[in-house]
Amino acid sequence: MLKRLCKRPSALPRIQLDDRLILMLAGVMVGIASGLAALVLNRSLEAMLEFVHSLRGHSWAFMLPGAGAAASAIFLDYIMKEGAGHGVPEVIYSVSRYGGLLRLRSSISRLISSCLTIGSGGSAGPEAPVVMSGAAIGSNIAKLFKLNDRQRVTLVGCGAAGAIASIFNAPIAGLVFVLEVVLGEWSTVNIVPVAIAAVAGTEVSRFFNGNQIAFSHVSFNIGVADTVAAVGLGLATAIFSILLTRALRSMHHVSAKVKFPVWGRAAIGGCLVGLLGLLFPDVQGEGYHAIREMIVGDYSGAFQVAAIAIFAKILATSFTLGWGGSGGIFAPSLVVGSFTGLAFYRGVTFLWPSIPLVGEGCFALLGMAGLISGILQAPLTAIFLIVQITGGYEVILPLIVVSVVSTTISHYFEPASFYMKDLVDRGQLLRPGTDARVLNDLSLGELIEKDCLAVTPHMTLREFVMVVKRSARNHFPVEDPETRAFLGMVDLNKVRPYLFDTIMYDAVVVEQIMDRDVLSIAYGDELSHILNIMDAKGLFSMPLVVNRRFVGMISKATLLDKYRKELMVQTTDNP
Amino acid sequence: MDTQLFHIFRNTPTGRETFLQSVYFCTMMGVSPVVYVPQHTKFLMYFEKDVVQVDLDGSYLSSPETAEKHARDLAEAEDLQLGFFKPKNFTASTLPDIPVDFDFMCCPRSISDLTSKIGLGYIGSRVRRIIQAAHFPVLITSPSFRKWSSVTVFFGGSKNAVNALRLGIRIARKTGMRVRLFTQVDGGKTRDDYEKVILESGLGDDMERYVDDWLLFFGGKFEENLYEVPHDSLILMGAYGHGVIRDILFGSKMETIQSVMPNNLMVAGPHYLDRGV
Repeated sequence: MLKRLCKRPSALPRIQLDDRLILMLAGVMVGIASGLAALVLNRSLEAMLEFVHSLRGHSWAFMLPGAGAAASAIFLDYIMKEGAGHGVPEVIYSVSRYGGLLRLRSSISRLISSCLTIGSGGSAGPEAPVVMSGAAIGSNIAKLFKLNDRQRVTLVGCGAAGAIASIFNAPIAGLVFVLEVVLGEWSTVNIVPVAIAAVAGTEVSRFFNGNQIAFSHVSFNIGVADTVAAVGLGLATAIFSILLTRALRSMHHVSAKVKFPVWGRAAIGGCLVGLLGLLFPDVQGEGYHAIREMIVGDYSGAFQVAAIAIFAKILATSFTLGWGGSGGIFAPSLVVGSFTGLAFYRGVTFLWPSIPLVGEGCFALLGMAGLISGILQAPLTAIFLIVQITGGYEVILPLIVVSVVSTTISHYFEPASFYMKDLVDRGQLLRPGTDARVLNDLSLGELIEKDCLAVTPHMTLREFVMVVKRSARNHFPVEDPETRAFLGMVDLNKVRPYLFDTIMYDAVVVEQIMDRDVLSIAYGDELSHILNIMDAKGLFSMPLVVNRRFVGMISKATLLDKYRKELMVQTTDNP
Repeated sequence: MDTQLFHIFRNTPTGRETFLQSVYFCTMMGVSPVVYVPQHTKFLMYFEKDVVQVDLDGSYLSSPETAEKHARDLAEAEDLQLGFFKPKNFTASTLPDIPVDFDFMCCPRSISDLTSKIGLGYIGSRVRRIIQAAHFPVLITSPSFRKWSSVTVFFGGSKNAVNALRLGIRIARKTGMRVRLFTQVDGGKTRDDYEKVILESGLGDDMERYVDDWLLFFGGKFEENLYEVPHDSLILMGAYGHGVIRDILFGSKMETIQSVMPNNLMVAGPHYLDRGV
């Protein structure tokens, strides 16, 4: 058999380096790179926290988060010259509008700035910065290999998945987060490379850190009462996720009114967090220590302390991120969620001590899922993340309940998630295959029909009829014979009666039958806006006029024809 | 007039010189100027395969209250109607996105560094990246406004040089000016070799119609031969046709030209699309 194959090499199975295989190989590369980025941030944070911890005894220690946030803002604004932002919305925006193009500098800028903010005690999480970093790595590797837009978007997803998978040691959470939040598209062309990248990122984390889960695994014997109580917890976490979302946004507006440089505002926010930390030390940093205590049932604070800690953490996160610090909301959401779960459990057992609930540790982790679901409006991400970072599959039923309830209620009051609210408000969330995305990917240039024949205002109807005979179109721009300025249009449908009345041929001139009050399009007009005008006015085409000159016609028929072709491109399963 | 030139307006005397150059180009070419008066020192340009962040120097934000009026006055003096570009999309709140579907762009030699660097011998890194990524040619102006009355195309036979020649013919067609070719012969090539490239590019007829002079140098130093280029000629050239390593080892003709010639330059990058056809 082997001899026969050696004699006929063409019979050997050949590996075709097709687009899918290239994406998988690139996915491994991106997954490893983003996993390493996450690892570097984690290690740097540990080192910085250790250093800062040794300074905590000083009376001026409350200023440390302020100094860190100021340094972070200076680094981001003056050295890296990046615009403000949390990271994930920028990635989603880039995927939506520009085929996942991200700047190379973004692959390191957020890592360093978030390390300064969180390491000094600011209340934020490292997850959004590593997502930004991983996505930028993916985007730039795609650029290196000259991949197309679709492939680049997939590699951006690979980077984000590798980063989340690495930082939480949770490959499925990384995969689901990317498909649900970043790409908004579940297609095999994305799933395979993103899954591979998530595995690569996780392996990097396990190679250097061992197979550790973020929070220790505790077995819970879940009963019906816990599942029913999860409905109430879902409601509570929805309320706090709405509160956190609104607090962050309103703090942005408040800080914007302070006429200080960016670093000055960040310093103020950081110092306020430092002061808050004197009363509630758990609100500082990423806050995972408190979560660990709550899950194993070691949290010593009373119900009132846990309840106040929820508000304190929301306030601290708003001061940090709303005033210019750098970081994400993943970790603060987990902390707020676990406090909510704990307070909820203690409240319920205080009011109805006979209800057989499983334990406060279980409710702390259910609370985390509820908050993540509410704030990201991504229930699957929340479910898989909590299952993976706690290693507890037995809580899956209440986990689903709390996630679904929290997402539904949050969506009712905040129709867009925290990451997407700004994009939705600006009309810039363009998911693949949606009307807005298809229209965005078409340009005016490819729709212009330039075969219209121009006429002049003093042309007689007889001369006009001769032009009509030569034309295949129904619209005729009227131009000034000297300046070629656009004066109006003649619509064949409106002047048809004249055309069959030969008596009028020398009695009527174009000026008398032209429409002067024509709605026109300018370069830069969005296609969605143009379509809206056409629909509202019952028009089938509109002239494009630039600098008072007629350029061409944009017709609804051509637009819909191109629309269909673009939709097919976007929804096909080829990379 | 469906072609547009994009200009980032700087409301300073130096910026006025650059803008006058844009206005002159638009008048000659029948192009509509689109002016962006920046409100932030940063903006992004998303090209097909690259995203370029331009960090403007602080002078671009000076006197915003008079910027539009100054730009409009300068354009109206030449009977040009000005379009002002207002960013609609923002990557971050202080980071607007600038569209890249213009036909031409005009900028000084550097847009992101101190104005002291606008002299010869220095083209800013952002301008280079824009040239490399854009499908439109970039008009790099001389430090002070100067009119041009002829077009000189630097033609070395490469794909980018063919792009430059196409651009030259496009300008000649619009302005009625004659085109002059400048070729520094290297590698033992003959005139026939260059003509063959032109014919294969389908530019034979246009060459007959619009090109009336061909400065073909078989010897002499390139820098010295540049003296033959008239001082009032718009120089057109292709850029970044070779790899970085070759440019470092053997030098780049574009770098030499831009560091020696005070003329206005128009550079077509590797992704230039001839929209004038």
